[in-house]
Amino acid sequence: MGRRYRQWVKDYQDQAWTLARYLLKDAQEAEDATQDAFVKLWHNQERIDPERIKPWLMKVTRNGCLDRLRRRRDNVEFKDSHMAGDVSGPLQGVAANELGGWLRQAIEGLKEPYRSLVVLRDVHQHSYEEVAGMLELSLSQVKVYLHRARKELREQLTEVRP
Amino acid sequence: MNKYDGKWERQINELLDGELGETDAEELKSAASDDRELARNIVEAFQLKQLMDGLHVERAPASLRKRLRSIPREQRSAPGLRWLQPRWVAALAAVPLVLIAVSLMQPKTPSAEEVATARQELAIAFSYIDKAGQFTRREIELTVGQTMADAVTGSVNRTIKFQNVISREKKV
Repeated sequence: MGRRYRQWVKDYQDQAWTLARYLLKDAQEAEDATQDAFVKLWHNQERIDPERIKPWLMKVTRNGCLDRLRRRRDNVEFKDSHMAGDVSGPLQGVAANELGGWLRQAIEGLKEPYRSLVVLRDVHQHSYEEVAGMLELSLSQVKVYLHRARKELREQLTEVRP
Repeated sequence: MNKYDGKWERQINELLDGELGETDAEELKSAASDDRELARNIVEAFQLKQLMDGLHVERAPASLRKRLRSIPREQRSAPGLRWLQPRWVAALAAVPLVLIAVSLMQPKTPSAEEVATARQELAIAFSYIDKAGQFTRREIELTVGQTMADAVTGSVNRTIKFQNVISREKKV
């Protein structure tokens, strides 16, 4: 049981952390949310189909983050202070790239479920089917919502491009 | 990008996802060559995708990795908390009550110390009773001794005389 769990930690900790980081915009809180999700995984591992561990974990991580956002009640407020000079976030590889930095902010500024959709599909590269399972949406809903999210990002990109 | 907006948007996204069929791709390419806005949208979509490709799954920090690794140990070492469910709490609380009830039902055997104390208290009580008895007897003798003696003696004599009279009458 412990060996399986350790393998899941190894395989999915980065994805769960990145999702939490994008959703919560706060490293400490993202750590707490990720840990909560893995504690739930530990307690429920016997009940989950091993083939469905990843979507289950992503769903639980996201739900935990959304609960925290509801409690925080400032999910629409963008924290400039948190973003400024933060090179340890998901944009580590493109920190020097102005547009890359802008894109991360733009994704974090999207409303739910657009933000989760973009992170899970375009950052994590999960399949549409996987994303649908994680967010409990139909395949067509995932496609329609993701198209809207991308269009919104494209429109914002047009405004900021030199 | 006018009345075909929805259709082109879907095709642009399918193109980015690598899911656009050959026929649709040719149609999109043909339309874009005549529609500057559509062409610009396609270009922007690709630019967005390039930026998206620059975003990677971030490596979880060491502090989080450590926390996740310690979950099995922490959760195993805290099984007592799971025992603290209401039914178990009630059961545990009932145990001392049962023990108390059983102990109350058992006949009590006094200890040697309790027996010694009881004997001492009893000896003191008897000595008080003796003293009180002697005092009372002296009081009776002093106040009503003679009178009482006469009364008793007189009564006894009268009884004896009466018994003698009855005996004689029976003989007659």
